[in-house]
Amino acid sequence: MREIAEKIEKKFKNSGADDVIVTIGEEEKTQIKFSNNKVSATQTWQSMNVSLFAAIDKRLVLTSIHAFSQEIIDETIKKLLKFAKATEQNKEYSGIAKGPFKYQEREGTYDKAVAELAEKDVDLVEKGISTALSNGAKRTAGVLETTKSKVYLRTSNSVEAEEKGTKIHFSIRAFTDNEASGHYVATARMLKDCNIESAAARAAEIAKKARNPLPIKQGKYDVLFEPLPASNIIEQMGVAASAFNVESGLSCLAEKIGSKVASKEVTILDDATLPGGMGAASFDAEGVPTQTNTIIENGVLKTYLHNTSTAKRYNTVTTANAGIVSPEPFNIVLKKGSFIKEELFEQIKRGLWITNVWYTRFSNYDSGDFSTIPRDGIFLIENGKIKSPVKDIRVSENLLGMFRNVSAIGEDAERVMGWEVETPVFTPPIVVKDVNITKSAE
Amino acid sequence: MDLGLADFAVDYAIKLGASYADARMESTSNSGFLLRNGVPQISGFDRVTGLGLRVIVNNTLGFVSINQIEKEKVRTLVERGMKVTKNAARIKEEIKLSDEEVHEDKYEVKQKINLEDASPAEKLSVLLEIEKAVESSGIKVPGSYLSLSDFTTQKYFVNSYGAKIESKIPRTDYFFFLTVKENGKSGQRYWQYGAAGGFETILDKDFPGLMLNEVKTTAKMLKDGVKPPKGKIDLVVGPQVTGIMVHESAGHPHEADRIFGREAAQAGESYLTKDNLGSAIGNEIVNISDDPTIEGSFGYYLYDDEGVRARKKALIKNGISNELLHNRETAEALRVKSNGSARATSYDREAIVRMSNTFLEEGDHKEEELIEGVKKGVYMKNFTEWNIDDRRVNQKYVGSEAYIIENGKITAPAFMPTIEIKTHDLWRAVDAIADNTEHSAGTCGKAEPMQAIPVWFGGPSFRMRGIRLSEYP
Repeated sequence: MREIAEKIEKKFKNSGADDVIVTIGEEEKTQIKFSNNKVSATQTWQSMNVSLFAAIDKRLVLTSIHAFSQEIIDETIKKLLKFAKATEQNKEYSGIAKGPFKYQEREGTYDKAVAELAEKDVDLVEKGISTALSNGAKRTAGVLETTKSKVYLRTSNSVEAEEKGTKIHFSIRAFTDNEASGHYVATARMLKDCNIESAAARAAEIAKKARNPLPIKQGKYDVLFEPLPASNIIEQMGVAASAFNVESGLSCLAEKIGSKVASKEVTILDDATLPGGMGAASFDAEGVPTQTNTIIENGVLKTYLHNTSTAKRYNTVTTANAGIVSPEPFNIVLKKGSFIKEELFEQIKRGLWITNVWYTRFSNYDSGDFSTIPRDGIFLIENGKIKSPVKDIRVSENLLGMFRNVSAIGEDAERVMGWEVETPVFTPPIVVKDVNITKSAE
Repeated sequence: MDLGLADFAVDYAIKLGASYADARMESTSNSGFLLRNGVPQISGFDRVTGLGLRVIVNNTLGFVSINQIEKEKVRTLVERGMKVTKNAARIKEEIKLSDEEVHEDKYEVKQKINLEDASPAEKLSVLLEIEKAVESSGIKVPGSYLSLSDFTTQKYFVNSYGAKIESKIPRTDYFFFLTVKENGKSGQRYWQYGAAGGFETILDKDFPGLMLNEVKTTAKMLKDGVKPPKGKIDLVVGPQVTGIMVHESAGHPHEADRIFGREAAQAGESYLTKDNLGSAIGNEIVNISDDPTIEGSFGYYLYDDEGVRARKKALIKNGISNELLHNRETAEALRVKSNGSARATSYDREAIVRMSNTFLEEGDHKEEELIEGVKKGVYMKNFTEWNIDDRRVNQKYVGSEAYIIENGKITAPAFMPTIEIKTHDLWRAVDAIADNTEHSAGTCGKAEPMQAIPVWFGGPSFRMRGIRLSEYP
């Protein structure tokens, strides 16, 4: 990998490019997909991708190479230069970080046991399904994914970085009938941290409780969100913190640095250094060593996430969140609170317990107006106790409004990644007061 | 592409004991441009080539892929595919595929202006012209995000029954996202345009004019928009709203793999079950179809990714659920033939049941007539936020450009009228359908790992009676 990257970078630099980043990613991924308690597909992917970024007189071009003969490399560089000349300058671009840098290996992000799991993954799936069934589920569906990856990055600014990682992700939805289901994920970098049986049992428990759901009236409810739905919402805040999104009208955090954007209970970090964090990484796309960034501290917005160019525009320094064009969070963390689970339930006199959501969509990113649909077990809570399962509701809210109403945070955080949670989130369950619940017209 | 290696992969899998094998070799070349607030951000081009192989061993299905197509790597791939599939067999679902006619064919979408002949400068200038039009409005547009991309996929499908299909489909895709400030409030509007064809599909559209209109309209809604009426009203929706309603509440629930629970974990299931196929969904004037063979459409193809010939499907006929979307696996489960709905977004994804171009069939009214027949109501021309639950029952659409209708006439802009409704209530409330079909382009998400696939969704304007709007918070 190193030789290929060096060859490309040198060749490029000699051709007149100002900045060059060569990123080589190697990945082996296996997915076992199951439905109706049986494996419905096994898929494996082996890929090697060389992505090439070049800035030529502020004209930014991205491409990739998939074969590595000298001829193909020369041809790609030639094409890229021609392509760049035909485009126009990005006057907002201010270059990439200058190295060399020293990197710290991120703790708990590579596990030989995951890398060498191979065909034993089927046993784990079997264990997950049987645990859910023995806990009362009638049928299950989900995936187990294992990933082993290596990335090597080299830039024309004396940066050279590499790291390897593993991931294991188990997602299970348990059904007790067509309208009653529970969903849980177990996601980790290390095999020992991926508690498949616990996830399967909890999905089944929720599904059992969710049978015979009833409609409720629309209106304001205090809501206890499990880590899975909380992550869907917290991720939106992390993404809104990207300076590029702020500039693009895609963020409700614009012009709010130093302002209160959440209740004092809320501290949100982007922590690429988190041991065992799903998004933990030692460097960003410019090769800058990552750090812990406090986005919101006790409810006050502290910073946006930056790369070198956005930082320049905001008269600050990079937060090591490159994306070349758009900074991105790595690993969003909601700081733990002090409530145990029963105490969180006790916070709710009359409200809801929401265990999953999907289809989060904004009508206005600038104001933060959005809605999301609770799915799987939803429960009416009275005086801290489950009264009955509920169906057919929607959370129709404002992102800032919701964060200002966060009133209690649990003490146990969980790692969440999923279909709609693309940036990993590490969060405890949370209680939000006065959540606006709507439903279909009768 | 060395097509012979796809043939080799299939033959080798059979030799190693597979009862069935198919291979898809694909090469997709693309280019893309992004203009943000008038500044070109980054552009790119790429060519991605790879081979996906599907095998059935011991009645179980496995899928493997690689992006380095060399004989030795293909050989290793086949061996690996056989091994992991055999290994999973003990807890695997038994897979049977429907018997289908074997086709050998080759087709290509014609381009008047070849995408590879249009220079990066020409492509970027499309966005720069649009930006100029937006700026000429004199309206405050603090956020303008414009992207243009094109991608051309060459594909070779081969299976162990002897099917061999070669195709080349170029597609173009324009997306905008605008933030407009007016009256101290912000409004946002986004939309996507997509087609199969060459660069002419971009040049033929007056995007600067369309965008200027979008900016002006968004500002007008902010400035003059009034609260929509409460209580029961009549609702007329324009083709963009028709399209999303059709796609979400009729298209997705007719995907047979949902009904069999195969996507239950994430994409979800359907209000249709094995027990209520053929049930009434809406008023008898409601006819909803899916047709991949529409020339120039974003969801165009003539053979699906299992080599089955594509055709138009009547999903809902006279208000009754009529036909599901099938691949060979779901078709066999219902003892019918596949209707050619298996699609994969790329060589490294399995082909699953997908929509192509889904739409409400036209009626014979003019749109004006629908409005004339409303005493108190709302005309929702297009929408912004929307969502639907995972059984495709409860859905929400928030109007973007919308108007109040009083005594058959449009009187004032309506500010974000919001409809939350159940699928059967929606399609039962339809009382008149217009003749002004328009299709919109979308990128539909489904499956794990996610497969975002090009589709059209559309139809004409139509009218619903007795609808209760939600309050926009």
